[in-house]
Amino acid sequence: MTSTPETDGTPTGAAETKIPQQAPSAFDAVHPPQRELLDDCVHCGFCLPTCPTYVLWGEEMDSPRGRILLMDLAEKGDISLDGPFTEHMDNCLGCMACVTACPSGVQYDKLLESVRPQIERNVERSRTDQLFRDAIFALFPYKRRLRAAALPGALYQKLRAVPAIRRLADRLPGRLAAMESLLPPVTVREAFATLPVHTPAVGPRRARVALLSGCVQDVFFHRVNEATVRVLSAEGCDVLVPRDQQCCGALEVHAGREESALDRARRTIARFETLDVDAVVTNVAGCGSSMKDYGHLLADDPAWAERARAFSARCRDVHEVLADLYARPESEDGGPRAPRTPVSGRVAYHDACHLGHAQGVRNQPREVLRTIPELELVDIAEASLCCGSAGIYNMIMPDAAAELGERKAGKIRDARPDVVVTANPGCLLQIAKYLPGGGATADGTTTGGSTGRAPAVDAGWGDVPLLHPVQLLDASIRGAEVPHR
Amino acid sequence: MTRAAPTTLRPTTPAEVRDAVLDVPGRLAISGAGTARHWAGRPDAVDATLDLSALSGVITHNPGDMTVSVHAGTPLADLQAELAGHGQRLALDAARAGRGATVGGLVATADAGPSALIYGGMRDLVIGTTSVLADGTMVRSGGHVIKNVAGYDMAKLLHGSYGTFGPLVEVVLRLHPVAKATACVAVDGPVDDAAERVLALMASPLEPIAVEWLSGDPGRLLVRLEGGTSTLPARVRRLVELLGDGAREVGPDAWDEHAALTTGEPGRAAGVGGAAGAAGRDAVVRIGCAPRSLAPLLGRLPATAVTAGLATGVATVTVHDASVTDVHDAVAAAGGTSVLRDRPADLDAPAWGAAPSALPLLTAIKNQLDPEARFAPGRFAPWM
Amino acid sequence: MPLAAPIRDEFVALLGERDVLSDPVRTRTYECDGLTGSRVVPELVLLPRTADDVAGCVRVCARHRIPFVARGAGTGLSGGALPVADGVVIGLNRLNRVLEVDPENRRAVLEPGVTNLEITAAAAPHGLYYAPDPSSQQVCTIGGNVAENSGGAHCLKYGFTTNHVLSLEVVLPDGSVVTLGSDSAEQSGPDLRGVFLGSEGTLGIVTKITVRLLRTPEVMRTLLADFPSVAAGGQVVSDIVAAGIVPAAVEMMDALAIEAAEGATGAGYSLDTPAALVVELDGTVEECEEQFAQVKEICDRHGCTRLHVAGSPEERANIWRGRKAAFAAVGRISPDYIVQDGVVPRTRLSEVLERIEAMGTEAGLRVANVFHAGDGNLHPLVLFSAADGETERAERLSAGIAELCVEMGGSLSGEHGIGTDKACSMPAMFGVDDLAVMDRVRAGFDPDHICNPGKLLPTPRLCGEKPGRYRPHPLEEAGLIERL
Repeated sequence: MTSTPETDGTPTGAAETKIPQQAPSAFDAVHPPQRELLDDCVHCGFCLPTCPTYVLWGEEMDSPRGRILLMDLAEKGDISLDGPFTEHMDNCLGCMACVTACPSGVQYDKLLESVRPQIERNVERSRTDQLFRDAIFALFPYKRRLRAAALPGALYQKLRAVPAIRRLADRLPGRLAAMESLLPPVTVREAFATLPVHTPAVGPRRARVALLSGCVQDVFFHRVNEATVRVLSAEGCDVLVPRDQQCCGALEVHAGREESALDRARRTIARFETLDVDAVVTNVAGCGSSMKDYGHLLADDPAWAERARAFSARCRDVHEVLADLYARPESEDGGPRAPRTPVSGRVAYHDACHLGHAQGVRNQPREVLRTIPELELVDIAEASLCCGSAGIYNMIMPDAAAELGERKAGKIRDARPDVVVTANPGCLLQIAKYLPGGGATADGTTTGGSTGRAPAVDAGWGDVPLLHPVQLLDASIRGAEVPHR
Repeated sequence: MTRAAPTTLRPTTPAEVRDAVLDVPGRLAISGAGTARHWAGRPDAVDATLDLSALSGVITHNPGDMTVSVHAGTPLADLQAELAGHGQRLALDAARAGRGATVGGLVATADAGPSALIYGGMRDLVIGTTSVLADGTMVRSGGHVIKNVAGYDMAKLLHGSYGTFGPLVEVVLRLHPVAKATACVAVDGPVDDAAERVLALMASPLEPIAVEWLSGDPGRLLVRLEGGTSTLPARVRRLVELLGDGAREVGPDAWDEHAALTTGEPGRAAGVGGAAGAAGRDAVVRIGCAPRSLAPLLGRLPATAVTAGLATGVATVTVHDASVTDVHDAVAAAGGTSVLRDRPADLDAPAWGAAPSALPLLTAIKNQLDPEARFAPGRFAPWM
Repeated sequence: MPLAAPIRDEFVALLGERDVLSDPVRTRTYECDGLTGSRVVPELVLLPRTADDVAGCVRVCARHRIPFVARGAGTGLSGGALPVADGVVIGLNRLNRVLEVDPENRRAVLEPGVTNLEITAAAAPHGLYYAPDPSSQQVCTIGGNVAENSGGAHCLKYGFTTNHVLSLEVVLPDGSVVTLGSDSAEQSGPDLRGVFLGSEGTLGIVTKITVRLLRTPEVMRTLLADFPSVAAGGQVVSDIVAAGIVPAAVEMMDALAIEAAEGATGAGYSLDTPAALVVELDGTVEECEEQFAQVKEICDRHGCTRLHVAGSPEERANIWRGRKAAFAAVGRISPDYIVQDGVVPRTRLSEVLERIEAMGTEAGLRVANVFHAGDGNLHPLVLFSAADGETERAERLSAGIAELCVEMGGSLSGEHGIGTDKACSMPAMFGVDDLAVMDRVRAGFDPDHICNPGKLLPTPRLCGEKPGRYRPHPLEEAGLIERL
């Protein structure tokens, strides 16, 4: 039998772009994805080549366009939230490359941000998944626990007092070990070091800023924080680092653990809002994107809406602050102030998704790096594609994260850099994990100056310095050897 | 069974063509100016011949839109003369246009000249067709606009069909402006040497309109440029410099020899190796392959005369008629295609090279459009 | 009638469990392409990774007479990849390798899932590029370009996909694999490659494409010129053509389209001009400079209010970014819109634009215009709000515009294809006999009508559903088809 060639469903050729409401929405009433935002998507597909999961798997339901359609269907009551819906939302890295690519201005970031808490509230996760997620969120936002984790010895021994970790250790010791293996090596001294509360500007003050020292950042990348304080100070900023600050909630925001994330947001606002500063600065792309979003997240909390809006308006990535100073006219004391020593060599800047896509901060880090004499900034192919780190993604979706990590590492190697820089701890960890896999470089030659000379990399990719951009700038300003990590 | 001598019908309108197809039972040959009478498969006996040479003339010309519709029997040379008055042309320089070839015939035989390098062939220039099928259906496709994707492109099916699906009656063409200035640069040398020069030329930004090598002693490469009157001389200088030793500007009559060689005119050609062509037993084969494979392939062919589009991969070779099968085999081995053109009327050599993988498909389409195989029998022998 | 489980098992045996999608939530995401007005959920979605697997899938379909629809990136604007109920979708986006770039022969061999822009990216190191450049080139695939015979802004000078494809490896609807075309312009017999190009997925599935590459022009000059009216811009185009200049591209946008594109890209278009023209010339330094001066002079003569010449490759890219984002960007200024794709003879541009404006006013709807002015290919965007019940009016206006183009001696579609969207308008352009013959050609390729059925040619059920339009169906009247 030949099947009938005609089609059922909506009349063909109709211009109606909307699916009719089938049943009550599958979302609950707390911030469901907004109808207007869903309707912005015209299904043009321009997002497809920028989406990491579509690039990996080539499946429509793991593309932004497909996910928006699924959200639309759920909102129309056509499908439920459990099963494939949750699976494909979980697969999303939240890299927001699609937001950059979208010509229609679809706010996928807002859509995803409203869908993830819906899943957390309304979908029962598998026991394994739940245990693992609970353990992750029992560890990462807590500086004290992270410090303990950094001590020598098994993670479980150190953190057995934390119930979520104990449960995971009891039931799924393998997953705990996997989580532990992702924590970077760090010296005890560094893990427990603290930043000065107040560091005055060198020379006449050009700005007064407060630094979010972060949780993971302060324990595992304390050196980045130190470099940030030194650079800001050297460039004429008073730097305040409030002592009792806590996690900003970024990881939880991105994972849909909304209640807890909002609590952290309120505490962070309260801690910083009274400070007399021009900007609240962060050197972590993920933290910056969520702090800039507080205004939106707390928009319908009458007690906090205005405070959140004001706070978000003051948040800046460290590169924005520096680029602003450099862009000021000379009459207003603009331009780079601290003398630099040359750093010769090829430097590849990797755009962290939460900086480039989520905050639109792409040029500033490059402008900052270009102030270093003799530095050759090189592009990485597929720059807009996520490296696979994506918050907690590389812990909960290790296979996809590994594929993306390998892919990114390959493109970085193709750029033949002497130094790789990126402004997010997750990206640094991810790239550090996959970059060495490529073996020795074909061409590890570097040229130039005596001090600040980027080390030659003929020993292999594992020896290529992998840094936050401010570390490189700090080395240049101090005339120090470029650090390795 | 004896047959009466076939009738020849000379319709003057599309409707008369249709009537002829409906009124005359049996098998039909289609002819235009007769310039490609012997091309492709030798026609089987037919009951009547449709001579479309009286179905001639421009139907509409819209200079502002740069399109023209013509009756299929319109000689291209006549059309060009008419268009030239408007500073326009059909950008097709097939050699046999000079002998009166018709627009419909040029489409049906997929003929093209050196400028196909830039402008393509008839398939790239025809934007609409009307033709008549075996059951008398008048079928139109395409239209009068250059850009158009509505419906199947029947013009492509008719291009190179040698009439097997029925006669074209009307053709709509896209036009190009007549070049303000044209120049030709020549450099003498054997085909291998020419091929290396062409490689450099095609990597350059000079945008040649035609690049052809002609056999002879030692052979000659011709390159045509088009441009503005004041700007062309500078480009000619760049071209001469690029082609190197021995390159110089020559007059437009250099292309006459090319046309003569392409049409296999006996006695005009000196062979690749300098031997004279075997007049009277010459066969002309049109071949095509990847451009960079062409020069080596030509070296393997027993050709007495060659014109070779070293940038297009299309060549016309004259061989002794006994060598036709060898040519098909050698071209097929190089991954190319070949079809027999002019040859002695009694030559019993295969007209086509190895059958394409799509032959069953071609047969299926033929069965759909001409189930009784009325049109142009024999043209695709031995394939179908 | 859902497909029987044993048939699904055949596909699974071929591709593996993971590459056969049958979960109804997942298959829902394949229910439409870039034309969202038509939605049909396929029974299965097959995601092969090799050409052999594509042929294997088609053979299973042929054996069981299961209708199949090929899909690339799903960006088509005419519903050409709309699934068939009870049928399968064969996604080709995983066949995405550039198999070969051959700089000496200036060609590339590609799998169908390679995006248009990736071809040029692969060719660029050799100083070559692939000429057809549809606006969606960063996402649309070459397989889809072949199916639609895609054009783009530069097809005025360089032609369409059909002018740039040398040969195709095609899986025919019976599962056999054939090569259409050859290594040169010289083909063996009728140009079946040319018939396949632009056949909208109804004649088979392409699994390998050999395209011609062109040498990157020595220079490119791009200008963006504002005019006090669309008519003035149109006159500039006519004068450029009359001067014997063939620009690489001539694009026009009206105020509404500029508003949308500028909002999306910030490319530097003037927000207060009624019309903007993008003119690009390319070629050798000598020719290009001379003609560019002529073009600027022509612009001035017609009251150009601002003339911006791209001073760098970045500025040129910006101008094009604005133009190419225009369709999707209209989503910013209207909740819903329909893109039309009619073509008119260029000399009738002003006339048709006036008529469109009048029709829009009469319908009480806004129409934004983006068009390839050089070849008369219009892209009127009918803006409406479904929520406000304007859908039917918008559809009527849109279909009216398409048919107006035909009436003016043009075509229903310049590059987006007929698909499901305009199949019912085909009788406005072609006669019953023309359509019947096209159907016979189709039957030569696909006697069982399993290959993307319901597209391109009108069918009674497709077109009979609309009250008052195309009923009874002309093919039905002619006794050529019957209602199923």
